[in-house]
Amino acid sequence: MDFNYDPVLQSWRFLLDGLQVTLLLSGGVAACSLILGTLVGLARRYGPQWLRVVLVFYIDSMRAIPVLVVLVWIYFALPAITGWNLPPFWSALFALSFHLAAYVAEVIRAGIESVRPGQVRAGLALGMSGPQIVRKIVLPQAIVRMMPAFGSLLSLAIKDTAIAAVIAVPELMRRADAVAGQSYAPVEVFSTVMIIYFLIIFPVTRAVDMVYKRIAFLGRS
Amino acid sequence: MTAATLAMQPAPRVVLQYRDVRKLYGDFVALSGVSMEVERGQVVCLIGPSGSGKSTLLRCTNALETLDGGELLFDGVPLPRDPASIRKVRQRMGMVFQNFELFPHKTAIQNVMMGPSTVLGLSEQQSRARAEALLVKVGLSDKAGNYPANLSGGQQQRVAIARALAMEPEVMLFDEPTSALDPETIGEVLNVMKALADDGMTMVVVTHEMTFARRVADHVVVFESGQIIEQGPPAQIFDAPIQARTRDFLGHLGWDA
Repeated sequence: MDFNYDPVLQSWRFLLDGLQVTLLLSGGVAACSLILGTLVGLARRYGPQWLRVVLVFYIDSMRAIPVLVVLVWIYFALPAITGWNLPPFWSALFALSFHLAAYVAEVIRAGIESVRPGQVRAGLALGMSGPQIVRKIVLPQAIVRMMPAFGSLLSLAIKDTAIAAVIAVPELMRRADAVAGQSYAPVEVFSTVMIIYFLIIFPVTRAVDMVYKRIAFLGRS
Repeated sequence: MTAATLAMQPAPRVVLQYRDVRKLYGDFVALSGVSMEVERGQVVCLIGPSGSGKSTLLRCTNALETLDGGELLFDGVPLPRDPASIRKVRQRMGMVFQNFELFPHKTAIQNVMMGPSTVLGLSEQQSRARAEALLVKVGLSDKAGNYPANLSGGQQQRVAIARALAMEPEVMLFDEPTSALDPETIGEVLNVMKALADDGMTMVVVTHEMTFARRVADHVVVFESGQIIEQGPPAQIFDAPIQARTRDFLGHLGWDA
């Protein structure tokens, strides 16, 4: 069969704008889910009992519900209930972050728990307080140990933005769909999009891996 | 006695006093009926088979474990229960662990500075000066910038000793400080400990190094199954043990009493 890349070339600026939205959304989701997930993870580990119960329920539900369902619910159902109308981009940012933060929280908790209890004892023996030990001994090591897991979550944060196409966020996937529909060239258009996603995410995961290899010793007690 | 005359009293001769100490882990009796004293400037070595309660006693001493019975007096005062007072007590005791437990994300000198800067609130400059002097003392001034991953076991343990000393403790607790070391690096750690003892540091040392105990200890305490079976000066324990079980234990180690 013949390949016709004209539609891709003719609408490259249209697609590039979509890529910009994708990157903006990815960055937003990565940042928001990191902040929210860190707070949830810390509160789940060190917070009061009632809060832990609430947070475990949140984490378990987010892990049990497909991200697409969360997104569609927040965009279509939430306004019907509350009357708040969020634009598509903000709905997507909110839904994807809310979903991913649960995974971030789990990574944070696992990272904290992987630090040897002897490290805490060493801090206690110096006369340090609990919060000092968490801040100066446990978290710095935990963060290093969490890096590989954060690398995977970062690639998820980028990939998952493609789902925002269903609520018409004008990101790369949505625009590719439009171009493919008009030009009848799905193979060329979607292959291009696939390669673009790969070219963005592959270096990210490789870079995280390389950095981790260089600093892993900082978390190895 | 008024506060003024109380302040005139010399520091008590006995620094640590254990009275009928008892510790349980569920049904397991880790320590029972343990009574002993540590005097200022003394080196007390705790010996005995693995799992006989020596390390547990050490952890009880700085309240890393709580007692289930009996009393533990530090400077004549029972160990407190509230977290703030416990921290105060721990600041006056240094502890060295079997697995060093250096902070891997900190360089050697940063490890030593951790106590002075975070707990004592010394300035960066003051704690650095203190840490540098201590690294000289343990013979590692050239390794100040190394991370623990780039130090040998013996070097890591010497940094750990310096880290504990940085709090200027009144007592040093050593929990099998050479058990995790390669044979060739044990000597450098024992030499540092010997020098500390010669400086008059009060030390409680859990150890399997009988030669060290014999040479450095003022008082040796033999543990078995959570109880003290015999205690006395090293000459008694190593040359003329009263208890047959002490002789058995030393015999198993190849020590010819």
